[in-house]
Amino acid sequence: MKLDHLQPDSVIKKRKRAAWIIAVLFILIVISFIISLNTGYIRLSPFEVISTVTGFGTDQQELILFQFRLPRIVIAILAGMGLAVSGAILQGIVRNPLADPGIIGINAGAGLAVMLFISFFSSDLGSSVFALPFFALLGGGTAAVVIYLFSYKKDEGVSPIRLILVGVAVAAGINALMIVLTLRLDPESYEFLATWQAGSIWGSNWSFVQALLPWLIILIPFALMKSSVLDVLNLGDHTAVSLGTDLEKERRILLAVAVGLAASSVCVSGGIGFVGLIAPHITRQLIGSAHKYVIPISALIGALLVLGADTIGRILLQPSEIPAGVVVAVIGAPYFLYLLAKLND
Amino acid sequence: MNAIDIKDVKVGYTKRTVIDELSVTIPENKITTIIGPNGCGKSTLIKTIARILKAEEGAIYLDGTSIQKMDTREIAKQMAILPQSADSPAGLSVFELVSYGRFPYRRRMGSMTAEDYEYINWAIEVTGLQSFRDRPISEMSGGQRQRVWIAMSLAQGTEILVLDEPTTYLDLAHQLDVLMLLDKLNKLEKRTIVMVLHDLNHASRFSDYMIAMREGEIITDGPPEEVMTKDNLRDIFNIEADLTDCPYSGNPVYLSYHLSGSDDHLPSRNDDREVM
Repeated sequence: MKLDHLQPDSVIKKRKRAAWIIAVLFILIVISFIISLNTGYIRLSPFEVISTVTGFGTDQQELILFQFRLPRIVIAILAGMGLAVSGAILQGIVRNPLADPGIIGINAGAGLAVMLFISFFSSDLGSSVFALPFFALLGGGTAAVVIYLFSYKKDEGVSPIRLILVGVAVAAGINALMIVLTLRLDPESYEFLATWQAGSIWGSNWSFVQALLPWLIILIPFALMKSSVLDVLNLGDHTAVSLGTDLEKERRILLAVAVGLAASSVCVSGGIGFVGLIAPHITRQLIGSAHKYVIPISALIGALLVLGADTIGRILLQPSEIPAGVVVAVIGAPYFLYLLAKLND
Repeated sequence: MNAIDIKDVKVGYTKRTVIDELSVTIPENKITTIIGPNGCGKSTLIKTIARILKAEEGAIYLDGTSIQKMDTREIAKQMAILPQSADSPAGLSVFELVSYGRFPYRRRMGSMTAEDYEYINWAIEVTGLQSFRDRPISEMSGGQRQRVWIAMSLAQGTEILVLDEPTTYLDLAHQLDVLMLLDKLNKLEKRTIVMVLHDLNHASRFSDYMIAMREGEIITDGPPEEVMTKDNLRDIFNIEADLTDCPYSGNPVYLSYHLSGSDDHLPSRNDDREVM
């Protein structure tokens, strides 16, 4: 059923615009994908990449592409999506563009749990890799519950600004705890922790992809399904209630989804901050605040951001690497300050 | 018929009870206005009707059913609420915002139906916003914005419309503009309208029924000519008002007033006074 005649041009135009943005982002991701396949310690020319992909490469080329680079690229894309959608949801819940799973301590909570997990199982993860997201979820979830409880007041429910402030404090607390713990770690675990905190995509084999993918396949469509709820939450608590939302219930569900996305992403990608901040913000500049567009477009921008950062990190200081999280932070930190300054106007 | 029955309601915040054992009924198809001084509990009452605050005791009945026992979406199909402070998120057009009024009718993934769009377009038309429907809310004036919010409430397709101070922050012309729109909706569409107003003359002129509160209690309720009396205004607001009849509605309005038991209004500006 076509209902276009009932809608004004602006709505139809926006839909077309969203389709265009998605197409352009998709092309950009494909380009980054190809560049990323080419770059690394051993450079492969585009021709070699194509011949390897189509099955005519040497064993060494196949190993590099399919066992090292491809899973890493896929994880960068997936983690970028997860973090960006998590940020979009958090910003929707708290009605504040400064919310980001990294800033409010969810990533740190997940990281702490991952660290404890690794120090028990050491570096040989084996099949326990699938347990990793659950541990991360436990850590991120605990952080979220603490944040929620501290920002909840009986008469007012959860005040958005209190949620952010408590989150920042929780993040600082967990990071401090991690530093204390590092003093007791053996050198190997210490090194892992350092790279994890810097946001290096460390989980670069297919089992990590398999561990992360199911979470995103379930949670991102679920978030998309909740886009009209997020739209209504954006209008303020009273209006949201008036329109028939069960405010606290929806908030809790959406917070759980945001935690699930961030924790599962972060446990394989390392502590990459700011993606959840930047991607939704750019998206809103491009298309406005309707969440049926914000969620998918943020996901693609997040993917592009992390994939781009990881690729740049591998190119800049060859043969060593700069962690993707550091590259994102170089863009993200000033962006955060810019947003802060703009909010004060 | 009563649209809303409020029975023995007790509401408050953790430390303070604002309203205790309050009972009143809101008549159907009429415009009812709640008046009273600051802190009298009128906003608390309207927030309780709107289920933003929960009654500790007693209940609010909508068509005979307690709202505490109703599904919140079902309430949203019968009663639309315009809160005092609504955030207008950046990057939303008038049409988009009004379309959110259809939220109670949306199914999980379902996109909007032809009926949804008909309601939205009707709401935009009846509020006179056709030429603005593509415009971002952020570019509209306060008065226009209030119209957009009213349009969103109308798109909800409810019999009852509850508004908490819909004219606050608007200039005189826009205040009247909003009230005339509500009057039109009541006369033409038979909507039941309940609102809180600060301006007594507006309240009297546009209401069929008035509820006057002070210190969490109802002092009096009834048609404007019964509520807007010299004695009542003294009891409610502590003022001595000079009343006359509104040339437009025939309801009582005040010309001017002074504080009860005070002569501070004297001398008048026209007196010749020495400059000290």
